[in-house]
Amino acid sequence: MKVSKLASLVIIAGVCLGMLAGCGGGGSSSSSSAKNKKEIVFWNPFTGADSENIKKMINEYNDTNPEYKVKNVAMKEIDMYKKIPTVVSSGKNIPDLNIVHAERIQQYKDSDMLITYDDVLGDYSDIKGENYVEAAWDMGELDGERYGLPLDIHSWGTYYNKELVKKYCPTALDDNIVTFDEIKEAGKKAKADKIAAIGVTWVKPNFLSLLKQNGGQLSENGVDPTLDTPASKDSIGIWRDLYESGITNKDGEDATQIFVSGKSIFLPEGIWAQNTVNEAEFDWGFTNSPQVSDDLSKAVNWSSSHQFVMFKNDERTDEKIQGIMEFIDWLRTNSLEWAKAGQNPASLDIIENEEYQKMPQSLYINDPKERETLTIFEYKYNGYVSEYLETNGFDTVFGKKSIKDFTSGMEKEVKEKIAKDKTNK
Amino acid sequence: MMSVAEKAKGKKPMKVAIKPWLFLAPHLIIFFIFFLIPSIFGVIVSFTDWDLVGTPEFVGLSNYQEILFNQDSIFYEQLRIGLKNTVLFVIFTVPFCIIVPLLLAAALNAKPKFWKVFQSLFYLPSLFAISAVAILWTMMFNVSFGPINHLLGTDIPWVGIQPYAWITLVVVTVWWVIGGNMIIYQAALNGISKDFYEAADIDGATSIQKFFRITLPAIKGQILYTVVMTTISQFNVYGQPLMVTKGGPNDSTRVLLMYIQQNAFGSGQSIAGMSSALAVILGLCIMVVSAVQFVLLRNKD
Repeated sequence: MKVSKLASLVIIAGVCLGMLAGCGGGGSSSSSSAKNKKEIVFWNPFTGADSENIKKMINEYNDTNPEYKVKNVAMKEIDMYKKIPTVVSSGKNIPDLNIVHAERIQQYKDSDMLITYDDVLGDYSDIKGENYVEAAWDMGELDGERYGLPLDIHSWGTYYNKELVKKYCPTALDDNIVTFDEIKEAGKKAKADKIAAIGVTWVKPNFLSLLKQNGGQLSENGVDPTLDTPASKDSIGIWRDLYESGITNKDGEDATQIFVSGKSIFLPEGIWAQNTVNEAEFDWGFTNSPQVSDDLSKAVNWSSSHQFVMFKNDERTDEKIQGIMEFIDWLRTNSLEWAKAGQNPASLDIIENEEYQKMPQSLYINDPKERETLTIFEYKYNGYVSEYLETNGFDTVFGKKSIKDFTSGMEKEVKEKIAKDKTNK
Repeated sequence: MMSVAEKAKGKKPMKVAIKPWLFLAPHLIIFFIFFLIPSIFGVIVSFTDWDLVGTPEFVGLSNYQEILFNQDSIFYEQLRIGLKNTVLFVIFTVPFCIIVPLLLAAALNAKPKFWKVFQSLFYLPSLFAISAVAILWTMMFNVSFGPINHLLGTDIPWVGIQPYAWITLVVVTVWWVIGGNMIIYQAALNGISKDFYEAADIDGATSIQKFFRITLPAIKGQILYTVVMTTISQFNVYGQPLMVTKGGPNDSTRVLLMYIQQNAFGSGQSIAGMSSALAVILGLCIMVVSAVQFVLLRNKD
């Protein structure tokens, strides 16, 4: 009797301790084994349809029997960005290689979280600016040091319904650029048939592309925002105007759904949205995002880039860094799979590929003049601007917030959040 | 010299003391690791300026001062808007989260045909994750393809304008949380002796009289418990406005936790100190409201 009681207590205590160990120690034990393993722990935010493509690429690379095999650790973007500061400041379980968005590199660099590629780049003569899309390559270099190497450049553009274009604006796409004036003209004609000219989509790329076309910029000195400007007002104003003219989808309607069901002519969306657009039963095309002018040299297509970075980690050996470089160099010439995910690989090697040439997004990479239009908005506090646009953009386009309040509110919010940042001081 | 009896006496309390602790241990350990330690840590962070990466800089009460008194600060605005909307959400949802499950429990208690099927159906939504619930109702309330507008013959942009955005949130929330409270009420109703109702029948009481004179007083304890617990959980509202209304229209459903989350884990540099201070203020509000509720409901004895 007593023995069994004692035994049950021991078991309870054992379970408790086990739970404790499960909570605290689990992670570190796996990291110590990883340290000795010849393995590159690779964190990335590819959890959607693109997760299959990245898995395929990694498997293919591992099949080449490299000294250091790559271990894919994909997690949701929001979770990954939450984890990064925690693991880097704790010094434990830091990934060997990480994909981050190009706009975030400066923040990480200023917080002293990254190491450079400068010491090893010399051994890989093909990893150089000429072999990559310029906009993506440039984002990896800060103050003359290279912190990021680009995997891709993913851009904003316009999907169009070929039949509806033929019906309402047959000449609009002759130059491969649809202007806001052309959209308005088409909208007037299409309105009678209850067809929207354009869908109101993600405000951030729509707004930022216009901001640059209107001569504005996020910041003049790289720190203080310049967001309460006429250019800023004009940029959001163009979208407000489209909505008020009654030629967009209604507030609350899903622009993509409307487009796919054949009820709008144009849909500004990212190149990565092809899988969704493919659900449409009509013939669709892809072109530059809507522009103010039809002059290609003035065109702006909002872009971002997934970049390889290495967070500071004492356990990463020089040999492992070589292994990482081997992997990145291999991807440079083996990135067709990534294009299949709807992305544009940053490596220009892809241009030679015939299969790629047939993909709609190749429009941006094939022609050097198109490449010039790809713009990544480099600003350390890009994140604060995004947050504001996410929460206030649609309200302003749909007439619930005044344009004046929108721009002044953005300037104020970004400024005050920057004031809390110590990495500048 | 100590007698054997005394020795045994001295030992006994020791034995008694260990056992309950061992049984409490699993809960306590979880409580310490996932609640108490992070809470204390959060309070400490609220006195600092910290971006989650560098060394936190102690700034005393300046975060609180800015949030509570600096009217020009966006963080003051965040607290004002966020707290107002959180309180509105609590006021709008809590009564329905009590009344609807109570009525359903009373109805099920009469044991109509298929009552077990209905019980499972009512309970089912509380097993879903909020993201699934939000996606489901976003489709239901969709302006052009949604069945609700179709049924009503309207074209209301439910999440786009007020007061519809609030109505949407209340419907989603009540549907989601019915189950938990309903089960508690059902158990309580089962415990009421049939004798009371028989006696009331003999005296000729109506069913409404029976409900208010017998049923409600008998389950007062459970109602008190559910009111307090529901209020606390609704104060922590996050998922519904985040996913269904996205805080709109014009920030009118943006609740405090959304600001707290964005400041600390948004796409920009983390402002964790300020965020923690906002969270501590929210925590204090919840404590005060719960205490007041407790006192008010107790005094009715």
